[in-house]
Amino acid sequence: MKSATTFSTWPAWLGLCGGLALAACQYLIYVYAPVESTMGVVQKIFYSHLPLAWWALVSGGVACVAGIAYLRTRSARWDHLAYAGAELAFVLSTLALMTGSIWARHSWGVWWTWDPRLTTALVLWFLYAGYLVLRHLDLPAPRRAVLGSVVGIVAFLDVPLVFFSARFWRSIHPAVFASEQGGLEPEMRLAAIASVLAFGLVWASLLVLRARAAALDARSATLAARVMDEA
Amino acid sequence: MLKAAWLIAKKDLCLVMARGGAWVQSLLLGLLLVFVFSLALPPGAQATAQTAATLFWLASAFCQVLAFNMLYALEDPTQARAGLRLAPVPVQAVWLGKTLCGLILLVAAQAVFFPALMVFLAQPLGPGWPVFLALLALADLGLAGLGSLLGALAPGQAARESLLSVIIFPVLVPLLLAGIRGGEAAFSTALPEGLTRWIGLAAAYDAVFLGAALLLFPFVFGDDR
Amino acid sequence: MLTLRGVSKRFGSRTVLRGIDLTLDAGTLALLVGPNGAGKSTLLRLMAGLLAPDAGTVERGCADTELAYLGHATFLYGGLTALENLAFWEGLYGGRSSEAELMAALKRVGLERFADVRAGVFSRGMAQRLNLARVLLRAPRLLLLDEPGTGLDARSLTMLRAEVAALRAKGTAVIWISHDLTGDLPMADRVLELANRTLTYAGPAADWPGRTAMAPAAGTAGGATC
Repeated sequence: MKSATTFSTWPAWLGLCGGLALAACQYLIYVYAPVESTMGVVQKIFYSHLPLAWWALVSGGVACVAGIAYLRTRSARWDHLAYAGAELAFVLSTLALMTGSIWARHSWGVWWTWDPRLTTALVLWFLYAGYLVLRHLDLPAPRRAVLGSVVGIVAFLDVPLVFFSARFWRSIHPAVFASEQGGLEPEMRLAAIASVLAFGLVWASLLVLRARAAALDARSATLAARVMDEA
Repeated sequence: MLKAAWLIAKKDLCLVMARGGAWVQSLLLGLLLVFVFSLALPPGAQATAQTAATLFWLASAFCQVLAFNMLYALEDPTQARAGLRLAPVPVQAVWLGKTLCGLILLVAAQAVFFPALMVFLAQPLGPGWPVFLALLALADLGLAGLGSLLGALAPGQAARESLLSVIIFPVLVPLLLAGIRGGEAAFSTALPEGLTRWIGLAAAYDAVFLGAALLLFPFVFGDDR
Repeated sequence: MLTLRGVSKRFGSRTVLRGIDLTLDAGTLALLVGPNGAGKSTLLRLMAGLLAPDAGTVERGCADTELAYLGHATFLYGGLTALENLAFWEGLYGGRSSEAELMAALKRVGLERFADVRAGVFSRGMAQRLNLARVLLRAPRLLLLDEPGTGLDARSLTMLRAEVAALRAKGTAVIWISHDLTGDLPMADRVLELANRTLTYAGPAADWPGRTAMAPAAGTAGGATC
């Protein structure tokens, strides 16, 4: 193990760029893209909701792939990345649920609707909440990492199945967010894509920083244990 | 491997039957669910087929969680887990054996839940019951396979019981939805639409998760403890 | 029969074993000794393949069906009878013993009267004897024992020692973690002493320096080690 751990600063710069990009997106969202006819200005929450939901999904994917990598290599780096991915998936799906709920309130007057995307976000939330519960159990670190990897893989495998089942379920009661698939005007589409990409920069920096924090946590636990061993 | 799996399933069944109480608990829990819910219905109100089907699958899911907690707890008292790992059989045989045993226990419990629902919630037996059986088979298989994989997660402490529920329920959502549609087919006078899609979904679910279980089980069970 | 080369094992940040090299030939009984917590049980589990080493290799010269492990825990199912337990484990190991053969094994360890009794009510001595019967049915070529004598009554212990000696005579390689050096040392061919995370002695029992300086306190406190 290295005696001194230094980290380069590139994730912080990436986050800064992401922040600037998001700021630029605000122009696209509020000035460039037109106001939607039926919902009005509140529809613009979609530009936050979409990146959150999308990157929550990608975070889950990262946790899954990193989990597979950990099981094959047993290298702690992958475990830290998997944990960061899962935690981000949880946080982002929480935010996606909140923004989606606000949107539903203004679209249909209810705080919740069984829209397939929202349902999937909810199940994602539960899946990664369970993951986090598992990771906070008092187990030896390698065992926790292995179990975390397995649950991370199972959770992500579930996501497409949840999405399709939610879609089949609601096919007779289509209360979906109509403006998602079809009715996006080109300016709206550009603003949406820009938001997703800009948020992606922020997401990437969050992921790397969180993984590093997990690595530092592990390192300090190691050092603490070493001190006690030699006492 | 099949022979070993069968030996393990038989052994678990023997142990469960000998103690009896544990399986009966899960049965009673399911029946209580049905009963308490029927209390919640206003007098004269008719529960829909979907409600009855949902209850059926909730009862089944809770039964499964209890069953797999119990099946893996069987290995704890004398650390038989290590003995099973030492045996010259692939560790997946343990997964398969426990899946088989869990499946048998589940079907036995469902054989009680189903008539109970017909009685307590006044559900008729509709023409869709063959489809229901097909979905039942697929869903039960998925429930058992996944329960057997995740049941082995528990670190052998008090957190086990609730941990399995918390992790497995979100994963089961697609399967439960498929099962509920199938249950609706059994309880309604008319067939709900799109059942073939649900059968396809349940089959896909089983393929994905049973395959994943075979690959992942060695990590969950066969690791250093 | 058993070769370890450069084996190391860490638990988290703690190194438990470092650079273990040893060879064990057939027909040898090696006593594994060391203070409590030295890592003897861990080493045995590494030898059995229950744990994977972080470094080094473990080579066994026998098949998995010829390896037997007798530890603190008995691997017995309390809800099954003695006979059912034997039948289960035999079946897993691919044996096709008839009921008569299983009964004969029970008779050898003096448990034939308890064939239909649930193993859950057995005393520690009876449980270990049943465990022994399970092992004997397999005629193992490598036998690993982790303080098997703990909590055993004198009669069961004598039986255990006799059976292990008989196996050794037939060519089985045995590693025995001892909690009672005075009693176990006479039958040992070799001694493996584990201290400070590594083997400080690995040679004939007759030449072991600890033999003469054997104080009952060191390593025989009889408690469970890690």
